[in-house]
Amino acid sequence: MKLTPTPKNTSTAKLSVFWSSLRRNPMGLVGLAMLAFIVTVAILAPLIAPYDPKSTSGITSSDIYNPPSAAHLFGTDDAGKDVLSSFILGSRISLIVGFFAAFISIVIGGVVGIVAGYYGGRVENILMRVTDIMLVIPDLPLMVVIIALTKPSLFNIIFVIGIFGWTTTARVVRSQTLAVKSRKFVMRARAIGAGNMHIIRHHVLPLVLPLLVVQAVLTVSAAILNESTLSFLGLGDPTSPSWGQMLNFAFGRGAMSTGAWWVLVVPGFGIVWVVLSLTLFGQGLEQVLNPRLNTHHLMPGKPTVQNGRVDLDQEKGALLEIQHLSIHYINEDKTAARAVEDISFTLNKGELIGLVGESGCGKTTLMLSLLRLLPAAGQIVNGKVFFNGKDLTALSEEELNTVRWKEISIVFQGAMNALNPVRTVGDQIAEAITKHVPAMPHDKLQERVTELLDLVGIAADHKNHYPHQYSGGMRQRAMIAMALACDPQVIIADEPTTALDVMIQAQILELLDSLRKKLGLAIIFVTHDLGVVAEICDKVLVMYGGVTAEYADVDTIYNEARHPYTQELLKAFPDLTKPKKKLSSIPGYPPRLDALPAGCRFAPRCPIAFERCRIEQPSLHAVGAEHFASCHLVEAVQ
Amino acid sequence: MSQEYFLEVRGLKKYFEADRASLFSREPRFVHAVDDVSFNLNRGEVIALVGESGCGKSTLSLLLMGLEDPTAGSIMFDGRDITHLNDHERKSLRRKIQMVFQDPYESLNPTQTIEEIINEPLLVHGIAKDKKERSGRVIKAMEDAGLKPAEVYLNRFPHELSGGQRQRVVIAAALVLEPEILLADEPVSMLDVSIRAEIINLLAELRITRQIAVIFITHDLGSVGFFADRVAVMYLGRIVEIGAVLEILESPQHPYTKALLSVIPVPNPRLRHERIILQGETPNPIDLPTGCRFHPRCPLAMDACTSNDPPFITLSKTHQAACLLLK
Repeated sequence: MKLTPTPKNTSTAKLSVFWSSLRRNPMGLVGLAMLAFIVTVAILAPLIAPYDPKSTSGITSSDIYNPPSAAHLFGTDDAGKDVLSSFILGSRISLIVGFFAAFISIVIGGVVGIVAGYYGGRVENILMRVTDIMLVIPDLPLMVVIIALTKPSLFNIIFVIGIFGWTTTARVVRSQTLAVKSRKFVMRARAIGAGNMHIIRHHVLPLVLPLLVVQAVLTVSAAILNESTLSFLGLGDPTSPSWGQMLNFAFGRGAMSTGAWWVLVVPGFGIVWVVLSLTLFGQGLEQVLNPRLNTHHLMPGKPTVQNGRVDLDQEKGALLEIQHLSIHYINEDKTAARAVEDISFTLNKGELIGLVGESGCGKTTLMLSLLRLLPAAGQIVNGKVFFNGKDLTALSEEELNTVRWKEISIVFQGAMNALNPVRTVGDQIAEAITKHVPAMPHDKLQERVTELLDLVGIAADHKNHYPHQYSGGMRQRAMIAMALACDPQVIIADEPTTALDVMIQAQILELLDSLRKKLGLAIIFVTHDLGVVAEICDKVLVMYGGVTAEYADVDTIYNEARHPYTQELLKAFPDLTKPKKKLSSIPGYPPRLDALPAGCRFAPRCPIAFERCRIEQPSLHAVGAEHFASCHLVEAVQ
Repeated sequence: MSQEYFLEVRGLKKYFEADRASLFSREPRFVHAVDDVSFNLNRGEVIALVGESGCGKSTLSLLLMGLEDPTAGSIMFDGRDITHLNDHERKSLRRKIQMVFQDPYESLNPTQTIEEIINEPLLVHGIAKDKKERSGRVIKAMEDAGLKPAEVYLNRFPHELSGGQRQRVVIAAALVLEPEILLADEPVSMLDVSIRAEIINLLAELRITRQIAVIFITHDLGSVGFFADRVAVMYLGRIVEIGAVLEILESPQHPYTKALLSVIPVPNPRLRHERIILQGETPNPIDLPTGCRFHPRCPLAMDACTSNDPPFITLSKTHQAACLLLK
C-alpha cells in the first residue's frame, strides 16, 4: 500500500467525505432541502408575511373565513386575519419549540445513556430503571397536566416536551456505549493511563456522536408533533401562536361547520412538511453515518458468466475442476476490482488441496464463487467450475441448490459467528440435515446427529448444549459436523484453524485428515499459513493478488519452489532447527485489489524484480510435471 | 533474594468469583485464572510467556498492567511493590509499562487520526506541554516504530493502513511514553505471515536501541526462538517450565512443553514428524485437577501424578520444570 503525504485539515476532510456521501443519498437530500426551505421561511418570516397577523386594523366582519383569493392566498380565519401570514409566523414557534425541546432531550438522553453504558453496575441499573418508568408513563396526559398546572408559556412547553422526550435516545446511546466500551481501543486507552473522563470524551463520544445526530433529528420531529398536540389541546402560549394553535382556534371557532377547510389544511400541511423533512433527513443521515446498513453481504449475485475464450471439456476423472476462473467486483462508480484472475486447479476424490494466500488475495472470493455465494457486486466474468462433469457456473439457482451442501459444503471461518447462539448445536446440525432431507423421521434424525457428532469427536451428551457452552475447538468440530450433514463429496474449509491455539489446530488438522481417509472426502483447505498446509495437503496453490503464483504438489512447493513469493514466504517461517536465526520478512504489503500494479502483482515486493516485471504481467508457465509458476524468470530458464 | 531484579513477580494469584455450586451453598467457587506465578525480568530482557488460551497468560498481563488487582502475591518493579497503588501512582507507573495489543484492527479508535492516536498518551500524562516538543516526540516514536517518513501517516485514519502498519502505530503509541517494559500480547497473531517477522524484528531492535524489556505473550512456541531470551510455559494458571530459549526449544523437559513443540507446523512435508496431539482441551480452571494439574491430558501420567502436585525441579541455573518424572 503506497501512501502519499497529503497534509490536510482532518476535520474539513471528514466533513467533505460526509458531504459527498450525503450527496449520493436522494432521501437525505430531499429531506434536507425541505428542511432548509421551512427554516428559511421561519427566519425571514416578518419580511415575507404579506400581513402582520397581530394587527387587526382594516379588518371588517366580511373578512371572516374568506376562501383563498388573490388578496389572501390561503384565505382568512375566524378573526379575518390572513392564514398565510399566520402560517409563516407560526413556523417560527413550531421550529423553536422543536429545536430547543429536542436539545434538552438529547442532552439528557445522551448523558444518561453514556453514563449508564460506561459505568455499568448500580449506576446503570438506577438510570435504566428510571428510563423504563419514563417509558411506561403515558407522557401526553402528564404533559397536559403539568402545563395546565403551570402557566402555558413558550418556555414551559419547551421544558416539558424536552424532559419527556429523552428516553429513546438514552436507550440507543446506552447500547452503543456498551458496544464501544468493550472495544479494544478503550482498553488500550486505559493501559495508557487515561481516566474515565478522557475516555468518554475522546473515545466514546466520537463513536456515539453520529447516532446522537440522527436521534436529534428524529427527536426534533417528535417534539414538533408534541407541541402541535399540546397547542391543539389549547395549552399553547396564546401570545405566540404556533401551527397547533392555529388548528385549535380553527377547531374551536367553527371552521369545520362553516366549511373553511383552508384554515385546517394549511397548518396541518406545515406540520406534515416539517415532520416528513426531518424523518427523511434523519434516515438519510443514518445511512450516511452508518454505511454498514447498505451492504448486503451474502446476497447471491447474478451469474453473469461470459465464457469468451474458454471452451474446454472436463479432464477425465477429476471430481472438481476449476478452469480459468476470473471474478471481478463491479461497483457502480469504481473500476472493477479484479479479485480473482484466471485460476485453474483440479481436485480428485480423497484429495486435499491447500489454497494459500495472504488476506485480500482473493482466496475467500474464489471459494464462495464455487457455490455462487458471492455478494451482489462479485461476478464470475470468465471460467468454468466442473463438478462431476457438470458446469456449476451454467446451473440455475435451483439446480445449484441440489449441489450446495449435499455435494459441496463449507466450513466457515470464525465458528462462533457462524453458529446461532440461541439454539442448541444438535438442533442446528439437525436443521442442516432436514433442509435437504425434509422427510427424515425424528428418531432417525437424532441418531444421525449423534453419529455426526461422534464422527468429529464430540460426545453425544453435548448434543443439547448451546454454542457458548462449547470451547473454540469444539465449535469448530461442530461446524465440521454440520458440513458433513448431507454426506458431501467436497468440503471447503475456509481458515478452519486460524483463531485456534496450536494444540487445537493440530487436533482439527488430525480430524480433517482422518475424515478424508474414512469418508473419501475431497477437501479444499483455505489458509494464510503455509506451515499448516504442509502437514496434511497433497497439493498447494499459492495465490497472490488474485492470481496463481505457484501451483504444485506439496513436496515441490516446499522444496523446489520457483516463484519468488513462495520462496520468500517460506523464509518468513521460523525454523525450529535453527531457532536463533533472524526471521526474514517480505517488505511492503499485498496489493489492494482496486489498485493493482501494472505488471506482475508481486513486483513491488519482489527482491529480484526487473524492468519487464513492472510492465508485463507474467503468465502461468509449466515448469515441471504438474508444477506451474507465474514469473518471468521461470520463463527465461525454460 | 540476593539479586535485585528489574521486575520480580512473586506468588501472584488472581481468582475470579465464579458461580456458587448451588443457590444455597455458602462457599462461592473460584476461577483460578493465575495461580501462584513467579518469575523475574532483567532490564532489556525478553521473556516469552507461552500457553494455550485459558492458561492465564492474558489475566497475567492485565495484572502486570495494573488493570486488575491480584488476589495475592506481589509484583516488584524497580524495588517497589506495584500491586497496591493509588490512582496517581498507578498513572505514573503506566508510563513505564506499556502494552501492545493483539488485534491492530480493534485497538485503534477509527475516528482518530494517526497523529491523534500517538499524541494521546502525551496528553493524558501531561508530558511535553509545548506543541512543538510533543510533535517531535510523536515523530520520533513513529520513526522508531518504522513508520517512515512520519509525515505521510500523520493525518491518516487507521482504516487507510494495512494490518502491519496499524500494529506499528500501536507500538509507536506505546513508545512515545518511553516505557521501560513493553508487554506484547500476541502482537503478530492477527497479521499475515509475510509481515509477522517485520514486527518481531522491530520489537527485537527496540530492546537493543531503547533498552526496553519485553514480555512477549504468545500461544506459538515457534515464534519465540529468535526474539526471546527466556521462555516460560504456562498451563492452567501456572508456569510449568521456565528456561533459556535454547533450553526450552532444544531440550524441553515437561511433557506439556514437549507436546506444544511437537505440534508446531513445520513448513516442509519432508520434515513431517510425529506429533504429540493432546486430546481434549485445557480443563476449566474452576475445578482444578488434583495433584499435577496436567495429569488428565499427560501422555506420561503415573499414579503418583493424580495426588502429588509436582514442585519445581532445578535443571540448570536458568532451567526449571515442575514434573514428577524429573529428579
